[in-house]
Amino acid sequence: MNVGVSRETYPGERRVAATPDSVKKLVKLGFGVVVETDAGLAAGFDDASYIAAGATVADRAAAWGCEVVAKVRPPDAAEAGRLSPGQTLVSFLYPAFNTELIRTLAQRGVNALGMDQVPRTTRAQKVDALSSMGNLAGYRAVIEAVNVMQRPLRGQSTAAGKIAPCKVLVIGAGVAGLSAIGAARALGAIVRAFDTRPAAREQVTSMGAEFLEVQIAEDGTGTGGYAKEMSPAFIAAEMELFAAQAREVDIIVTTALIPGKRAPVLITAEMVASMKRGSVVVDLAAEQQGNCALTVPGQAVHVNGVTVVGYTDLASRMAQQASTLYATNIVHLLGEMGGADKFELSETNDIVWPMTVVRAGEIVWPKPPREEAQVPATAHPAKARIYSEQHGPPAAPKLSQGSRWGMLVTGLALLGIGISAPPTFLTHFTVFVLACFIGYQVIWSVTPALHTPLMSVTNAISGIIVIGGMFQVGGGGAARILGVAAILLATINIAGGFLVTQRMLRMFHR
Amino acid sequence: MTPSLLATSYLGAGVLFILSLKGLSHPETARRGNMFGAIGMLLAVLAVAVQARLVTSPLLIGSVLAAALVGAAVAARVAMTSMPQLVAILHSFVGAAAVLVGISNQLEPAAILTGAEKTIHDLETSLGVFIGALTFTGSVIAWGKLQGVIRSKPLLLPGRHLFNLALILACAGLIWVVMGGGPRALPALLILMGISGLIGIHVVMAIGGADMPVVVSMLNSYSGWAASAAGFMLSNDLLIITGALVGSSGAILSYIMCKAMNRSFVSVILGGFGAEEGAAPALAAGAQGDPIATTAEDVVEALLEAQSVIIVPGYGMAVAQAQHPVREIVDVLRKRGTQVRFAIHPVAGRLPGHMNVLLAEANLPYDIVLEMDEINPDFASTDVVLVIGANDIVNPSALDDPSSPIAGMPVLPAWEAESCIVFKRGRGAGYAGVENPLFLKPNTRMLYGDAKVSAEAIVRLLK
Repeated sequence: MNVGVSRETYPGERRVAATPDSVKKLVKLGFGVVVETDAGLAAGFDDASYIAAGATVADRAAAWGCEVVAKVRPPDAAEAGRLSPGQTLVSFLYPAFNTELIRTLAQRGVNALGMDQVPRTTRAQKVDALSSMGNLAGYRAVIEAVNVMQRPLRGQSTAAGKIAPCKVLVIGAGVAGLSAIGAARALGAIVRAFDTRPAAREQVTSMGAEFLEVQIAEDGTGTGGYAKEMSPAFIAAEMELFAAQAREVDIIVTTALIPGKRAPVLITAEMVASMKRGSVVVDLAAEQQGNCALTVPGQAVHVNGVTVVGYTDLASRMAQQASTLYATNIVHLLGEMGGADKFELSETNDIVWPMTVVRAGEIVWPKPPREEAQVPATAHPAKARIYSEQHGPPAAPKLSQGSRWGMLVTGLALLGIGISAPPTFLTHFTVFVLACFIGYQVIWSVTPALHTPLMSVTNAISGIIVIGGMFQVGGGGAARILGVAAILLATINIAGGFLVTQRMLRMFHR
Repeated sequence: MTPSLLATSYLGAGVLFILSLKGLSHPETARRGNMFGAIGMLLAVLAVAVQARLVTSPLLIGSVLAAALVGAAVAARVAMTSMPQLVAILHSFVGAAAVLVGISNQLEPAAILTGAEKTIHDLETSLGVFIGALTFTGSVIAWGKLQGVIRSKPLLLPGRHLFNLALILACAGLIWVVMGGGPRALPALLILMGISGLIGIHVVMAIGGADMPVVVSMLNSYSGWAASAAGFMLSNDLLIITGALVGSSGAILSYIMCKAMNRSFVSVILGGFGAEEGAAPALAAGAQGDPIATTAEDVVEALLEAQSVIIVPGYGMAVAQAQHPVREIVDVLRKRGTQVRFAIHPVAGRLPGHMNVLLAEANLPYDIVLEMDEINPDFASTDVVLVIGANDIVNPSALDDPSSPIAGMPVLPAWEAESCIVFKRGRGAGYAGVENPLFLKPNTRMLYGDAKVSAEAIVRLLK
């Protein structure tokens, strides 16, 4: 089974879908690799290095004739026309924007997997090309801004005067945004970031940036680690915040994308006009028409002394590294599909299937939404919640079938007790049930760090059984002896429990 | 003392107990909370002593003083690493006391009851004895396992579920007999005590070492329910309230522990974890190879270069008593300006919150000791992770290998850091008997040997 690696034909695209290193890994997976002549030249890999890694270098037709064709950009009409039934195409596809292309691919009867459709799960991270590219693009965005800026980012006091540190605003703290924050911080800038998803806050602050907020509480967490569209009131407040920030900051990096839709316009022409001369806006959403009203995709434009950078090839500008990461994503995907020997497009595979846009000529995109099993988090998906910040179990929005039955059974049990039990019992029973509820509330508020003291203090107070023993001592004979024994045991508990708790708690200090 | 005055003292004591648990929501307020608890206990005991005309009874004063001395001596002496054992044995005392009170009450009832009240009272008595005896024997076995007197491996009898079922059915039958009253009630109660004790032994014997946090919390819960049942029997609201508080506390702890291991409570109680699956641990595909060993010198070099360090302690640190040299490592690094934090998994150790107590004992400030939820996002941006005596809680196959016995358990992603150093005594698998692909990751290095010796070597080199 062969993997064909196409040369990219899109103007200015320098990346390639395989590197000599990834070729070695593909060979290990059992694939033969056919690389188109000069496919990796722009990314710094010559044909000889591919051959040395075990690939065959051949012409365009040979590469496009392989069972699997890997490339970076979505194929153009001519390329799509080269495909025939039974072949599998792996590349970025953006099916929401390229309906024509998807239809063509379906007509050709091929399988097509979109590298932009990788599910946002922990397991799929190794294939997640949007993250690996976004990471580089975020870094590059800051570098491009610095390239245009006529001053350094780091503040300094020199004999010739003070250099004020640059202020950078990053909008959207996804993979690209976080990477931009990291790059700007490393160059010494003061960084602020905004994101509609509350989960982004700790990620932003952990990168050393300040997290900006609007005064309206609204959770913008959408599916798959993306943000969703917000309410008009929220957007108004958000725009006000951006307008205020625009007057103050020197660099704005915008990364706000909503999957399958035009990017929201967050920086208006007025905001750009209000920025200091010499400032820069870098629009990472340029390919989806941009977050800035003045963005011209693919170009840097100058407006009133402010540069609006709308390059759509930021990752491609670091073609060597970008290709290496992308090629590794491809290797992982093909490995996930079973390697050369057990190569298949399985509907049960939770990475491969969501990526499949066309299967054997049938369009299988978009997939019906399904329950997301994992908490999506763009940069740190390994995070698993045990219980919420308030230490409470998440409240179920609707009663499940089970809890409805539970309530019914509880109701019947209460009815039964009410009919048969004497009133004295019910007084105690009421006390018991209410105490259980109080206990439930109080214990959830205990910090997990103090769970051991909690156990020892509950040990101590359950020594209250001592009063049971004391009531029995009043009797005679065997009952008295048993009572004394109970008092002895319970008192050891009380004294031991409280004292050891005190001893432990004394150790806790800030 | 009037009944109303007694009731108000109960109310006061109950409120103080609630406040004492409430205080534990933060280390700052916890000590005051503990004082509240002690005051509440004193109030309750004094009130009952006055009521039962025992204030001057030499028997009461003598036994209370003697027991308090024993308790104080134990509390002052116990090593923090032995807290799980102490907690377990204290549970057994509550269980035993509940049994004693129940039987004593059966011998000498406080009031003569008739009809439904009598039936309910007998039911309460037998439930108290049942739960109490189960708690007693279960806790003693748990103590033995934690102390190392009893093998911590699960003991799995053939047909053990059926055996348990038969025992429970027998108990139900005996409770029926006790409720029938008459001369057969007392012997039935004693047999009930014996059988439920057997259940306690059998259930805890079948549970492996790694599940001990759940078992100890469960017994904590049972000791509360036993006290509550005694309260019903004696018509004493304070006992009922306290028992309910303790019971729900233990239940919530069990729930948290089970969640942290991604296992259902029932499967833990049915036991046998780490025995069936552990027999033939399967390595994830592509994870073959040998772990790469390292030396203390290399670890020190890595630590000195690091900007940020996360330490993941496990039960192995407690066993090796390594928390003090670890503290010294932390001190040196913090003085150099390195950010050092601890990541605590909810089931690290043998008791909920065990690691926090050990680190506090080693004089580490609690604000650098973080819970899993708080610190998990930071692993990726950390330079060095030191895993000290922990295994399953840093096992990546919990996340990426659905066939793993611990699949789905939330873990600390130590492998996300720049480099990860694992302090490990030997080359075996963890308590769950699961192979750990973390050891084979390219950025992982193994520092074999006793954790304390290794940590001390690092301290010497750092200074």
